[in-house]
Amino acid sequence: MEEKKARLKPQAEIEVIPEGPIRIKGNIILSDVRRDIFESPEGEIYLCRCGRSKNKPYCDGSHEK
Amino acid sequence: MESSIKSGRGRKYTNGEITVYWKPESCIHASYCYRELIEVFDPSRRPWVDMYGATTAEIIRTVNMCPTDALTWKWNDEEKNRDVDPSHTNHVNFRRPELLKDETEAQSEPVSVRVMPQGPLIISGTFTLKYDNKIKEVEESAVSLCRCGASSRMPFCDGNHRKSDFKDD
Repeated sequence: MEEKKARLKPQAEIEVIPEGPIRIKGNIILSDVRRDIFESPEGEIYLCRCGRSKNKPYCDGSHEK
Repeated sequence: MESSIKSGRGRKYTNGEITVYWKPESCIHASYCYRELIEVFDPSRRPWVDMYGATTAEIIRTVNMCPTDALTWKWNDEEKNRDVDPSHTNHVNFRRPELLKDETEAQSEPVSVRVMPQGPLIISGTFTLKYDNKIKEVEESAVSLCRCGASSRMPFCDGNHRKSDFKDD
Protein backbone atom coordinates (compact mmCIF):
# COMPACT_ATOMS: atom_id res chain seq x y z
CA MET A 1 0.00 0.00 0.00
CA GLU A 2 1.20 3.44 -0.83
CA GLU A 3 1.96 5.70 2.09
CA LYS A 4 0.23 9.05 1.79
CA LYS A 5 2.67 11.85 2.35
CA ALA A 6 1.53 14.85 4.33
CA ARG A 7 1.49 17.77 1.91
CA LEU A 8 3.82 20.60 2.72
CA LYS A 9 2.52 24.11 2.73
CA PRO A 10 3.77 26.23 -0.20
CA GLN A 11 6.08 28.95 1.08
CA ALA A 12 5.99 31.19 -1.97
CA GLU A 13 4.07 32.01 -5.12
CA ILE A 14 6.02 32.33 -8.36
CA GLU A 15 4.22 33.75 -11.39
CA VAL A 16 5.61 33.96 -14.88
CA ILE A 17 3.81 36.99 -16.32
CA PRO A 18 3.09 36.63 -20.07
CA GLU A 19 5.37 39.02 -22.02
CA GLY A 20 6.62 40.24 -18.64
CA PRO A 21 8.83 39.47 -15.65
CA ILE A 22 8.73 36.76 -12.97
CA ARG A 23 6.72 37.86 -9.95
CA ILE A 24 7.77 36.29 -6.62
CA LYS A 25 5.95 36.65 -3.34
CA GLY A 26 6.35 34.83 -0.02
CA ASN A 27 8.94 33.36 2.31
CA ILE A 28 12.04 33.39 0.10
CA ILE A 29 15.77 34.00 0.14
CA LEU A 30 17.04 35.76 -2.96
CA SER A 31 20.72 35.27 -3.69
CA ASP A 32 22.93 36.57 -6.46
CA VAL A 33 26.60 35.97 -5.75
CA ARG A 34 27.72 38.22 -8.59
CA ARG A 35 25.90 41.23 -7.18
CA ASP A 36 26.43 40.39 -3.54
CA ILE A 37 22.69 39.98 -2.91
CA PHE A 38 21.53 37.71 -0.09
CA GLU A 39 18.21 38.85 1.31
CA SER A 40 14.62 37.99 2.25
CA PRO A 41 12.63 40.68 0.47
CA GLU A 42 9.37 41.91 1.98
CA GLY A 43 6.38 42.09 -0.32
CA GLU A 44 6.77 41.01 -3.92
CA ILE A 45 9.68 41.28 -6.34
CA TYR A 46 9.84 41.25 -10.14
CA LEU A 47 12.78 39.56 -11.83
CA CYS A 48 13.92 40.09 -15.42
CA ARG A 49 13.49 37.17 -17.84
CA CYS A 50 14.06 38.91 -21.18
CA GLY A 51 17.76 39.64 -20.59
CA ARG A 52 17.44 43.36 -21.32
CA SER A 53 17.02 44.93 -17.87
CA LYS A 54 19.67 47.46 -16.81
CA ASN A 55 18.88 46.65 -13.20
CA LYS A 56 19.36 42.85 -13.12
CA PRO A 57 18.26 40.63 -11.55
CA TYR A 58 15.23 42.91 -11.28
CA CYS A 59 12.88 43.96 -14.08
CA ASP A 60 13.12 47.60 -15.17
CA GLY A 61 10.42 47.52 -17.84
CA SER A 62 12.93 47.21 -20.73
CA HIS A 63 10.97 44.25 -22.20
CA GLU A 64 8.33 46.73 -23.38
CA LYS A 65 10.79 48.63 -25.56
CA MET B 1 4.19 -2.99 3.78
CA GLU B 2 6.66 -0.89 5.69
CA SER B 3 4.98 1.98 7.47
CA SER B 4 7.42 2.68 10.27
CA ILE B 5 10.04 5.38 10.23
CA LYS B 6 12.79 5.58 12.80
CA SER B 7 13.54 9.07 14.08
CA GLY B 8 15.60 10.54 16.90
CA ARG B 9 12.44 10.80 18.96
CA GLY B 10 11.35 7.18 18.81
CA ARG B 11 9.39 5.59 15.99
CA LYS B 12 6.37 6.58 14.01
CA TYR B 13 3.81 4.56 12.10
CA THR B 14 1.12 5.72 9.68
CA ASN B 15 -1.86 4.39 7.78
CA GLY B 16 -2.10 7.52 5.64
CA GLU B 17 -4.79 9.04 7.83
CA ILE B 18 -3.12 9.25 11.24
CA THR B 19 0.41 8.84 12.55
CA VAL B 20 1.12 6.96 15.78
CA TYR B 21 4.30 7.81 17.66
CA TRP B 22 6.08 5.25 19.83
CA LYS B 23 8.43 6.44 22.55
CA PRO B 24 9.80 3.23 24.14
CA GLU B 25 11.51 4.87 27.11
CA SER B 26 8.10 6.10 28.39
CA CYS B 27 6.43 2.68 28.37
CA ILE B 28 5.44 1.41 31.84
CA HIS B 29 3.95 -1.81 30.43
CA ALA B 30 0.39 -1.06 31.48
CA SER B 31 -0.51 -3.31 28.51
CA TYR B 32 -3.71 -1.54 27.44
CA CYS B 33 -2.52 -1.36 23.83
CA TYR B 34 -2.13 -5.06 23.13
CA ARG B 35 -4.96 -6.19 25.39
CA GLU B 36 -7.34 -3.89 23.55
CA LEU B 37 -6.01 -4.21 20.01
CA ILE B 38 -3.58 -7.07 19.42
CA GLU B 39 -4.25 -6.81 15.67
CA VAL B 40 -2.38 -3.50 15.68
CA PHE B 41 -0.15 -3.62 18.75
CA ASP B 42 1.58 -7.00 18.97
CA PRO B 43 4.82 -6.96 21.01
CA SER B 44 5.88 -10.35 19.61
CA ARG B 45 5.79 -9.12 16.00
CA ARG B 46 8.32 -6.98 14.12
CA PRO B 47 7.44 -4.24 13.49
CA TRP B 48 5.22 -4.51 16.52
CA VAL B 49 2.71 -1.93 15.22
CA ASP B 50 0.60 -2.78 12.16
CA MET B 51 -1.38 0.32 11.23
CA TYR B 52 -3.56 -1.64 8.83
CA GLY B 53 -4.73 -4.15 11.47
CA ALA B 54 -7.77 -2.12 12.55
CA THR B 55 -9.73 1.01 11.71
CA THR B 56 -8.42 4.48 12.42
CA ALA B 57 -11.14 4.99 15.05
CA GLU B 58 -10.11 1.82 16.92
CA ILE B 59 -6.45 2.80 16.85
CA ILE B 60 -7.23 6.29 18.21
CA ARG B 61 -9.42 4.83 20.98
CA THR B 62 -6.64 2.44 22.03
CA VAL B 63 -3.79 4.94 21.87
CA ASN B 64 -5.82 7.28 24.08
CA MET B 65 -5.77 4.57 26.78
CA CYS B 66 -2.00 4.63 27.11
CA PRO B 67 -1.31 6.14 30.56
CA THR B 68 1.99 7.74 29.48
CA ASP B 69 3.30 9.44 26.34
CA ALA B 70 4.71 6.12 25.07
CA LEU B 71 1.93 6.04 22.46
CA THR B 72 0.56 9.26 20.96
CA TRP B 73 -1.16 10.07 17.68
CA LYS B 74 -2.07 12.87 15.32
CA TRP B 75 -3.99 13.42 12.10
CA ASN B 76 -1.83 13.59 8.98
CA ASP B 77 -4.07 16.44 7.79
CA GLU B 78 -2.60 19.26 9.90
CA GLU B 79 -5.85 21.26 9.74
CA LYS B 80 -7.55 18.57 11.80
CA ASN B 81 -4.94 18.86 14.59
CA ARG B 82 -5.88 22.45 15.41
CA ASP B 83 -9.02 21.83 17.47
CA VAL B 84 -8.79 18.38 18.96
CA ASP B 85 -11.16 17.49 21.78
CA PRO B 86 -9.26 17.04 25.10
CA SER B 87 -11.01 13.68 25.54
CA HIS B 88 -8.36 12.52 23.06
CA THR B 89 -5.87 12.37 25.91
CA ASN B 90 -3.00 11.01 23.82
CA HIS B 91 -3.22 13.35 20.87
CA VAL B 92 0.23 14.93 20.46
CA ASN B 93 -1.29 18.37 21.26
CA PHE B 94 -1.64 17.22 24.88
CA ARG B 95 1.17 14.74 25.37
CA ARG B 96 4.00 15.63 23.01
CA PRO B 97 3.57 19.15 21.63
CA GLU B 98 7.26 19.14 20.65
CA LEU B 99 6.35 16.81 17.77
CA LEU B 100 3.94 19.36 16.29
CA LYS B 101 6.49 22.14 16.61
CA ASP B 102 9.11 20.10 14.77
CA GLU B 103 6.86 19.54 11.78
CA THR B 104 5.80 23.19 11.64
CA GLU B 105 9.41 24.29 11.54
CA ALA B 106 10.21 21.78 8.84
CA GLN B 107 7.44 23.24 6.73
CA SER B 108 8.52 26.86 7.04
CA GLU B 109 11.80 26.38 5.19
CA PRO B 110 12.11 29.43 2.91
CA VAL B 111 12.16 29.03 -0.85
CA SER B 112 15.61 29.60 -2.32
CA VAL B 113 15.75 31.88 -5.38
CA ARG B 114 19.25 31.83 -6.88
CA VAL B 115 20.40 34.05 -9.72
CA MET B 116 23.05 32.02 -11.57
CA PRO B 117 25.84 34.13 -13.13
CA GLN B 118 25.28 34.21 -16.94
CA GLY B 119 22.60 31.61 -16.36
CA PRO B 120 19.04 30.89 -15.25
CA LEU B 121 17.08 31.47 -12.09
CA ILE B 122 17.06 28.38 -9.90
CA ILE B 123 14.08 28.22 -7.55
CA SER B 124 14.05 25.42 -4.99
CA GLY B 125 11.80 24.44 -2.09
CA THR B 126 8.02 24.15 -1.75
CA PHE B 127 6.09 26.69 -3.79
CA THR B 128 3.46 27.22 -6.49
CA LEU B 129 4.50 28.15 -10.01
CA LYS B 130 2.02 29.86 -12.33
CA TYR B 131 2.76 29.98 -16.06
CA ASP B 132 0.77 29.68 -19.34
CA ASN B 133 -2.50 29.55 -17.33
CA LYS B 134 -1.16 26.51 -15.48
CA ILE B 135 -0.47 26.09 -11.79
CA LYS B 136 2.29 23.69 -10.83
CA GLU B 137 2.73 22.63 -7.19
CA VAL B 138 6.42 22.12 -6.54
CA GLU B 139 7.17 20.21 -3.34
CA GLU B 140 10.75 20.04 -2.08
CA SER B 141 12.05 20.26 -5.60
CA ALA B 142 13.47 22.83 -8.03
CA VAL B 143 12.81 24.55 -11.34
CA SER B 144 15.17 26.46 -13.60
CA LEU B 145 13.69 29.55 -15.29
CA CYS B 146 15.08 31.38 -18.32
CA ARG B 147 16.64 34.77 -17.63
CA CYS B 148 18.15 35.56 -21.06
CA GLY B 149 15.00 35.50 -23.23
CA ALA B 150 16.42 32.95 -25.71
CA SER B 151 15.00 29.67 -24.40
CA SER B 152 12.86 27.64 -26.77
CA ARG B 153 10.98 26.02 -23.90
CA MET B 154 9.84 29.11 -22.04
CA PRO B 155 9.55 29.86 -19.20
CA PHE B 156 12.12 27.15 -18.44
CA CYS B 157 15.83 27.32 -19.18
CA ASP B 158 17.04 25.07 -22.03
CA GLY B 159 20.70 26.09 -21.96
CA ASN B 160 20.39 28.46 -24.91
CA HIS B 161 21.99 31.34 -22.96
CA ARG B 162 25.34 29.83 -23.90
CA LYS B 163 24.56 30.19 -27.62
CA SER B 164 22.94 33.62 -27.38
CA ASP B 165 25.12 36.56 -26.40
CA PHE B 166 23.45 36.96 -23.00
CA LYS B 167 25.27 39.61 -20.99
CA ASP B 168 24.43 39.32 -17.33
CA ASP B 169 25.19 42.91 -16.33
